[in-house]
Amino acid sequence: MCDIIWCKKCDTVNYLDPYTFWNWEGKTKCAECGTVYYIHMIQGFMYRGPEERPGEEPDILPLYADKPNQGYECYLPGVEGRTRPYQCLPREVYLGRADTVKFSIRGKPVRGWAPQPPSTGPLGSCGFKWEIEKLSPEVWQEYQEKLKRGEVSEW
Amino acid sequence: MAEVKREAYFEELPGPRSQEELEEMKMPYEEYCRKIFDPKSTFLKPEALKGIRWLSCTMYIFTPHSVANLAELGAECIKFEMPRMGDPMRHTSPFNEAYLYPLHDSRPRTGTGLGFTNANTNEYFVTLDYHRPEAQEILYKLVKMSDGLTECYRPGTFDRWKQSYRYLMEINPRFIYVWGGGFGYGPKTFGGSYDILGQAHAGMSSITGFHEDFGGHPTKSTNWVIDWYSGTHITVAILAALYWRRKTGLGTMIEFSQVQACTRILGYTVPLYHRFGIVRQRWGNWDTQLCVHGIILCGKSDYPDAPNPQLKYDARYVMVSAFNDADFKELCNIIKRPDLFEKYKTHKDRVHEQAQIEIYRTLEQWAADKSRSEVVRILTEAGLLAMPVMNDKEVYECEHYRQRGTIRWLDDPIFGDVLVQSGYSTGLMSETPRRVRWIWRPVGADNVKIYHELLGYPMSQLQKWYEQGLI
Repeated sequence: MCDIIWCKKCDTVNYLDPYTFWNWEGKTKCAECGTVYYIHMIQGFMYRGPEERPGEEPDILPLYADKPNQGYECYLPGVEGRTRPYQCLPREVYLGRADTVKFSIRGKPVRGWAPQPPSTGPLGSCGFKWEIEKLSPEVWQEYQEKLKRGEVSEW
Repeated sequence: MAEVKREAYFEELPGPRSQEELEEMKMPYEEYCRKIFDPKSTFLKPEALKGIRWLSCTMYIFTPHSVANLAELGAECIKFEMPRMGDPMRHTSPFNEAYLYPLHDSRPRTGTGLGFTNANTNEYFVTLDYHRPEAQEILYKLVKMSDGLTECYRPGTFDRWKQSYRYLMEINPRFIYVWGGGFGYGPKTFGGSYDILGQAHAGMSSITGFHEDFGGHPTKSTNWVIDWYSGTHITVAILAALYWRRKTGLGTMIEFSQVQACTRILGYTVPLYHRFGIVRQRWGNWDTQLCVHGIILCGKSDYPDAPNPQLKYDARYVMVSAFNDADFKELCNIIKRPDLFEKYKTHKDRVHEQAQIEIYRTLEQWAADKSRSEVVRILTEAGLLAMPVMNDKEVYECEHYRQRGTIRWLDDPIFGDVLVQSGYSTGLMSETPRRVRWIWRPVGADNVKIYHELLGYPMSQLQKWYEQGLI
């Protein structure tokens, strides 16, 4: 976890853990007292802020917060209204919502989702070809719809 | 003497009849290259190393890559992994989610990370806990019918398990054995290795990045370049060993220290020290021997509205080269600073550190109100060399790479649509091109193929080993 916003009002350290290599601009909220701060980081450096923005809505909540001067009080990820849940890498940038990849960027199916049904041969051995049409019909169906909509390209 | 009746006369054969005609009939060089290196015909051509069988007891990138090179050239490579777990690199994904499933039937919630790509291409994947004595017979059987093996354990580990070169050469005197690791024999023999250790220990990091005067520090290359580089050098040694074996019938042991290999790319650093006692310093994105020959920062991004910060903020760097006098004069005219050329007329003047600081600062001031593509366009139109510092999105979109087949989409038999560069990003070969058939296969995917179909063990025996955790 990184990028600390230390709220001096309530002496709480909010850990933002922004994604995508520490380039982030937006507003976040102190988990303890709810003060909204604006920050702008470039390559992990605090370029602007934290500046108080009273009355404005935060873009994201901190991931974790603690009060190091008062023992071990802390807010773990996912406390309702205070911290956001930790759900791996968000595909929906900054919203904290993980997405499972079923198609490559050009729209063709990849076998990238979990869990996979056991389809292998004896002793963990595995056939050469994964027949997506037979083994994952729902993804195949989605692929056919993408083809119809023209969302599949060569590059 | 019977009269010889000639069916064909040289003059009647199709083709050029004189040197001039030959020259006329030759297609333009560009067209010729496009024909013989056509990416579409890759899979129609033979493979150079077909017939070679290689065993791989390797992990991570460095040693696996030495075997992947062989596999891309057509060798049959068998990768051994620990049962149910596999190569630790499978679990070293760049992000939490970027896994391709499944890893193994017994672990439905585990996948293989994209970090595994390119280091184990086209191989067959078997599992074997080869440190157990009962596994020895299986390994020895394979050694008898293989050309070589690459391993990456601490020095002497395979020797303790009676499967080092001196044991295996008794079974197969033609065997080529590769040990690849951190330090090799010597005072630091027990040191393990990582790419960053190679970069640091060989002195590479000390000359990479900006000088401390400019806020720089010794810098590690973001990617594991020394792993990839050292793996390739092992392959060079293997190919030489195969040629030596053709001449003498004898195998070779290759002992490859990664920290040692890294010193090779330090250029004049070592001779500079031996002659003058000078310890070379870092000079970042500029050059100690040439000026102007570096990377500058422009003021505006090429993607000002992109949501991705890597595009929005980082797409601002340009590589510029104008070091000879005429080019530098032109550059000074373009940036409307002819006085700079008057001040630094000769290359000797320009390459001095104070001069470089002034020249690059002036260039960046000129570029402060321009975007990266504007700078490239202005300089290129003036006949100077300038290229944007491209990111992977731009590499993907680069038409030059697409036409040459440098990066390609592969319909992997198991994992579906994947973008690969691997073998295609190396030198092209007209007759026996490198190729990627599959990126990797699940852990133990080829157990039956290798142990049952190749070695002839009955399925009941395999089942027993599977239950014991041997395979």
